[in-house]
Amino acid sequence: MSAIESGQPIREPIMALKGIGKSFGPVKALEDVGFDVYPGCVHGLVGENGAGKSTLVKIITGLEQADEGEVILAGKSVAFRTPIEARSHGVAAVYQDPKLFPHLSVAENIAMGAYPAGWLGGLDRRRMIETARHHLARLGSDLDPRRTVAGLSVAEHQFVEIARALSADVRVLILDEPTSALTPTEAERLFAVMRALRDRGTAVIFITHRLEEIEALSDTITVLRDRRHVATLPRAEVDRAKLVQLMVGRPLETLFTRRDRPSFGAEVLRVEHLSLEGVFADVSFSVRAGEIVGMGGLVGAGRTEIAQTLFGITPPTSGDFYLKGEKVAPNSPRQMLGKGLAYLPEDRDRDGLIMPETITHNITLPILKTLSRWAVIDRAGERRVAAKASETYNVRTPSVEAIVSSLSGGNRQKVAFAKWLATEPVALILDEPTHGIDIGSKAQVHAMVSQLADRGLAVVLISSDLPELIAMSDRILVIAEGALVAEFAHDEATQEKVMLAAARQSGRRRG
Amino acid sequence: MSDQPVPAEAAPSRNLVQFVLRLREAGVVVFLVLLGLTFGLLNDRFLSVQNLTIVASSAAILAIAACAQGVVLITRNLDVSVGSMMGLVAYLTADWTANHPGISPAEVVAIAVVLGIGLGAINGLLVAYGKVPALIGTLGTMSLYRGLTYIYAHGQEVSSSRLPHWMLESADIRIAGCPIYVIIAIIIVMAVAWFLYAYPLGRRIYAVGSNGVAAWFFGLRAERVVMFAYVLCGFLCGIAGLLYAARVGTVNVVLASGWEMSSLAAAVIGGVSVSGGSGTVIGAALGAVVLAAIDNGLVLLRVPEFWRMFIQGAAIVAAVAVDALIAEAIRRSTAGRRR
Repeated sequence: MSAIESGQPIREPIMALKGIGKSFGPVKALEDVGFDVYPGCVHGLVGENGAGKSTLVKIITGLEQADEGEVILAGKSVAFRTPIEARSHGVAAVYQDPKLFPHLSVAENIAMGAYPAGWLGGLDRRRMIETARHHLARLGSDLDPRRTVAGLSVAEHQFVEIARALSADVRVLILDEPTSALTPTEAERLFAVMRALRDRGTAVIFITHRLEEIEALSDTITVLRDRRHVATLPRAEVDRAKLVQLMVGRPLETLFTRRDRPSFGAEVLRVEHLSLEGVFADVSFSVRAGEIVGMGGLVGAGRTEIAQTLFGITPPTSGDFYLKGEKVAPNSPRQMLGKGLAYLPEDRDRDGLIMPETITHNITLPILKTLSRWAVIDRAGERRVAAKASETYNVRTPSVEAIVSSLSGGNRQKVAFAKWLATEPVALILDEPTHGIDIGSKAQVHAMVSQLADRGLAVVLISSDLPELIAMSDRILVIAEGALVAEFAHDEATQEKVMLAAARQSGRRRG
Repeated sequence: MSDQPVPAEAAPSRNLVQFVLRLREAGVVVFLVLLGLTFGLLNDRFLSVQNLTIVASSAAILAIAACAQGVVLITRNLDVSVGSMMGLVAYLTADWTANHPGISPAEVVAIAVVLGIGLGAINGLLVAYGKVPALIGTLGTMSLYRGLTYIYAHGQEVSSSRLPHWMLESADIRIAGCPIYVIIAIIIVMAVAWFLYAYPLGRRIYAVGSNGVAAWFFGLRAERVVMFAYVLCGFLCGIAGLLYAARVGTVNVVLASGWEMSSLAAAVIGGVSVSGGSGTVIGAALGAVVLAAIDNGLVLLRVPEFWRMFIQGAAIVAAVAVDALIAEAIRRSTAGRRR
């Protein structure tokens, strides 16, 4: 491939995706995604969290196999079975957090999979180091290839990964959120490399949440939404507003149960200047009884970390936290449960529930002490509590003795609710409560959250699902890069406003 | 593009990691020298050529077993059936040899090696393809292999009188004054070390142990690599078992029991990390020499048996603690995001 004018796509696409579809069990991960990628072009790929970008990358590089559709590389249909195969055809990906082998040297990491052969079929180390140095130099890096990878900075990791891709003579380079862990200077340097590669005729697929970066670098932009392809447009035809609209403008899929007349009581939860060094800083807000405060933002913005700090999992480095007017210093979940705060983690299967146990045992776990007499658990009482809770939260199950892992996602979420609410909290933090559950159960979860608020609980709702966030919340806080950047009342919030606030680039990395 | 200044905060921790990783084998050698000098000062017989030869001989077979264990440890797995594999191979091979007078040395070696590979392959299938946790899987085969030895032996031992002379005398052969077992052990350990260092499959053994997630994202077939490591381990245990049988002459059912612990101890003392990806089999072999030296020195100093066990145990705990500290430092330096 000869050098071509930058930004001038030539006719033939180097890679064409046609009708790519993928399901994981009953869940659709991608449906009918198709677009063309041209050599010498930076192809921006955007979409909300869970729009299907990562799955698409995995399919292109052979980590996952598509159920439908085909990938056409330089005119030929290909279906890579492993990333090694993809790399040998010139298709490579660099991930958000680099995936290298820390105990091996930089040169070995770069050469892995395509070692230069020497004496008796062994490695030609000298050639391996020379090649590594050469590829690093192309990226403007003078990293010593003999160095062990352990101890390199994130940016250096990324350069090693890109050098690895270059060593395989890359024709299509995929960068999945490469800047999320870089400082602005490091990111600038990466962009320079991207431009240089593009000018040399490489096709670059660039995935990022930062719309500024998309605008600055892409020649073509593809938008995915809800696992489907929405549009592929030349850079000149889109502006930020249009991008945001394409990303969020989904049809309203469900009717959200919205409380008629929210009536708020006294302040239950108040956070002042809360910080966790290097993660989030100076976050202040309050929630009243009966109020649902939504927390929006991108994945990795620090919302879960704030919730976990309030719940005592990672104690804050500074700031104050008041529950019902009483100052508390969160330092363990057990202590916070005792104070009346409950937290439903995002990954309920991993963090929230004990999968191989029964519904009863899961629900009563946090309250075993109150259910016990003389340190012996009252089994009948335990079952009564579980049965009542299952009924209240509408868990569909033949028996409370059913094993949790046999339930559907929605029902598991209800069990998780029942479990934490059995502690009778005054405030509740929900982290992505409807993530990964079907639409019917979603509506039920929404109804449940509304009911809880009506009963006087203070609710913090973390959600990346914008329509849900806007419909459910009485107020919306937007977190970006570890800081509270915007607050909207229910009436003034729109998906576009929240998205814009969340995607702002502060230009200064936290920490 | 201008050169980027290295972020100042990253520098010290990175240098430390580099330094410690390189230091490990050198550390074992330094420790060994200090140990030798200490024992030498306390007992003038310790540093005699004769005694050092005894230390080397008793370390030889353990060095091969430690090398076997080391290969598996590097993939971030574990093999506690090492002793049982050696025992079963030793018994079956000795029994076969006793029942087939006139069998050639090459045939005997072939039988031991094939048996070892077979037993190692069973471990590999369990752990790599069956996804059984390494500790549980090989704990199972540890009992299984030892149980098979008991069943097959029916309470009998293979007495040295039934074994061919060349086999029994092999342990006494010396080349230029050096016991042949020491030479065999050095050749085997060097060959495995060279293979791990210089061949793509060897480097993949390190890669899989270093970062399993990265291996998956990269497209390495970790199962094959782990399978191979177990087969290599079985192969080496086959050789070690045969050498052990030839050395003791009379082969009984408890031969090499407890060697899973000694081989693990030797590998860890020699700087092979139980969290995978780092260390060398040369280090593991040096670890075997350290154990043999401690044992020998304590005997010369007339330290009672139970103290020897205690001191050996303390050495293992200390080595594992150092290993854990280093692994933590590496984990921190590659945590991905700066915090």
